[in-house]
Amino acid sequence: METIRTRFLAGCSGTGDAGEDPPPIRRLRILIRLFLLWALLILATLVQLQIVKHGEFARMARAQQQREVEINAPRGMILDRNLKPLAMSLPVDSVCVNPQKIADVTVAADILSSVLNLDRDQLLARLLAAKVMQKGFLWVERKVTEEESRRLRSYKLPYVEFRKESHRFYPKGRLAAQVVGTVGMLEEEERGVVGLESYFEDDLQGRPGSLKLVTDSRQRGVDATVTVEPVAGQDIVCTIDERIQFVAERELAKAVVEHKCKTGSLVAMDPNTGEILAMASYPTYDPNEPVKKGEDLSPRLNLAISAPFEPGSVFKVITVAAALERTNLRPATIIPCGNGVINLFGRIIHDHDPYSALSMTDVLAKSSNIGAIQVGLRVGESTLHEYVQRFGFGRPTGIELPAESPGLVRKLKAWSKSSIGSVAMGHEVSVTTLQLAQACAVAANGGFLVRPTVLLRRGRDQQSLRKVSQEKPVRVMSPENAMTLRRMMEEVVLSGTGKKARLDGYRAAGKTGSAQIFDFDSHTYTHRYNASFMGFAPVTNPRIVVVVTLNGASLYGGAVAAPVFRQVAGAALRILDVPRDAVLEDAGEPGNDNLNDLPPAQLAAEPEETMLRPISVAAAPPREIVRPGALAAPDFRGKSLKAVLEIASAAGIQVVFSGAGVARRQHPAPGQVLSPGETVRVELER
Amino acid sequence: MATLATIISRIFTPGAGEAVARPAENPEDLYLVRAIPNDDVCLFVKDIDNTRVVRKVDQVAPKRCLKTIAGFCGAAALLILLLLPGAYSLLAGYEIQNLREKRQQLLIERAGLELEEARLTSPERLEELAKVQDFIDPAPDKIIYLPPTQGSLALNLPQQ
Repeated sequence: METIRTRFLAGCSGTGDAGEDPPPIRRLRILIRLFLLWALLILATLVQLQIVKHGEFARMARAQQQREVEINAPRGMILDRNLKPLAMSLPVDSVCVNPQKIADVTVAADILSSVLNLDRDQLLARLLAAKVMQKGFLWVERKVTEEESRRLRSYKLPYVEFRKESHRFYPKGRLAAQVVGTVGMLEEEERGVVGLESYFEDDLQGRPGSLKLVTDSRQRGVDATVTVEPVAGQDIVCTIDERIQFVAERELAKAVVEHKCKTGSLVAMDPNTGEILAMASYPTYDPNEPVKKGEDLSPRLNLAISAPFEPGSVFKVITVAAALERTNLRPATIIPCGNGVINLFGRIIHDHDPYSALSMTDVLAKSSNIGAIQVGLRVGESTLHEYVQRFGFGRPTGIELPAESPGLVRKLKAWSKSSIGSVAMGHEVSVTTLQLAQACAVAANGGFLVRPTVLLRRGRDQQSLRKVSQEKPVRVMSPENAMTLRRMMEEVVLSGTGKKARLDGYRAAGKTGSAQIFDFDSHTYTHRYNASFMGFAPVTNPRIVVVVTLNGASLYGGAVAAPVFRQVAGAALRILDVPRDAVLEDAGEPGNDNLNDLPPAQLAAEPEETMLRPISVAAAPPREIVRPGALAAPDFRGKSLKAVLEIASAAGIQVVFSGAGVARRQHPAPGQVLSPGETVRVELER
Repeated sequence: MATLATIISRIFTPGAGEAVARPAENPEDLYLVRAIPNDDVCLFVKDIDNTRVVRKVDQVAPKRCLKTIAGFCGAAALLILLLLPGAYSLLAGYEIQNLREKRQQLLIERAGLELEEARLTSPERLEELAKVQDFIDPAPDKIIYLPPTQGSLALNLPQQ
């Protein structure tokens, strides 16, 4: 409805000089120039930002938007053979503060000390010192419990920070503590200090990686790129079976306490593979508890591999094995025992019981010292020394555990004239419980020396666990002699000093041992013993070797160590589902047996202090005597199949035949004692 | 004194001020009253009766309008399409990071539960529980081993 005409509009209609641009064009040009100038300025700024100062700004942007985050590589787990965790790591909170952000140090000390159960004054002093020294970081408490962390977080204190740290847990507590070992803090990292934790440190310890995290303005992660791939620690699956281990520790502890021994150790091993099923030491400790200042560290020692001792009569097995291999002595060979007295190179030695003569089987069963000396003399120094070494004594077994003792076997040159007698009875040598288990396995597995191992498998995770290759066992005895030795050791349990090792439903074999302990202060042998028992079961197809050593016992090995074998081996065979090889009978508690197997320690040269541990003196042990009857194998030789069956049927003996014709050979030999349920193998020939 | 009119004139008509200040070039006009600033700006009002005016139908306008709308929509869609992947990856980035953190947390929780399970199933605790419940190890004669030669197999199959 209305029109407004301005001069501006009027100008547009064509007033002005013919040679000059009209004012709007001029103004437009000016505007364009201004815009161009502005664009130029922007361009220049862009050039400066994008090209000239690109590196600097890119660095600044990266610092603002990207963070380098460490990816933790968890320490590998240690599992038992059934993949039950024995040691595992979990991230836990550690509490730190920025002292410069603390407004009132006293209040902060009050809160932190009450939540974290710390000494208030000490914490206050630390906080004050850090504040005065202008420190921006202070650890308050590392690896706090979940409850403490939750409580402290709920306070939302601005000066408190939480940092995740890996912490090692041992969920089974004391179980297999010396085998599994513990970790300690070294350079802000957990490092194994003993046991498997130490031996497999390189495998268990992972390598942390790093992550480039792109964040927004509120430091929330937007994108992440792994720059260094983390390498998780490998899981270690050990050969220990936690059920057998538990029984072993329980029975060992019970025996040590009951018989007031100082220490005890036990090894249960698969004789065919060398896999350690249980390895116990007493006293023991809880690896979850950190070492306290001034704490006695001896319970952390794995006695089964680190504490050598004079073995005593269990060593007679080695003497007999050498005799079977290198002499014409057989189990039935009569060994003169001199009515319990022998003159050995001018020294008069008395046996614990006077025997005029014993078969070599009985020498082992009754643990006759003079009989063992006679056998040792027949074997000879060099052969005995050779067999002691062949059975693995005097050198570490090579088990995957740190601090293994090699024991001590003197060089042949260092032997005195009477050393042959001492070594034949288990003196003048020092061995570990593990070495005894390795030697016992030779008889059990048919003559092979297997390397004991605690490592079953290793791998990155449970899906890709790798089996560890086994070393090839070394034959140290012929299979025939190993079988003979096995039968002789069975006699120890059936009618000898090891009756308390009899098992329900299984045939067991073994050898008892008792060695007097040398007192380094008075330089005399005390009336305390290294009481031991080494044995295996079932005799027909041995599945487990158990060696028990009680240090500082007041009774003999057959009285204190054999019952531990009975309990542990019985439970282990049940756990391993091993079928019985004998008729069930009420083995009960054998009483009145002669369990004395003590070799005369006075015969031996004084042990070296470096190879043995001094033990306190105590009272002399009592003696018990008993003699049970047994069923002997009839003589089937020369008889027909029918006649053999009649005799066997009448006597209630199981017989297995091979071949056809007349009975020519039989096993066990005629007259040999048969264990309940034992089968006699008869070979027929025409 | 700079009036509003002077300021407008200076901005939009360069040289207008000079015209005002400059005396008339013609000597005869010397006695003329000098021009008032913006004297040449004529403002007048004229009533126009446009009640009978009919707008001429523009055939092209709707098309142009639609084209403009379509152009804007297209541009907007293109812009969205260009920005969408970036926005999606940003959101996905947040989600991935959240899930990573959640996964880490769940792994820690799982490890914690495994630890607790291991503690609860330790032989020592099981033995204590067995004592409370009066459980005992089976006697040797209560364990029956199936002879493998007979091919016996115990199966706990559901009832048909």
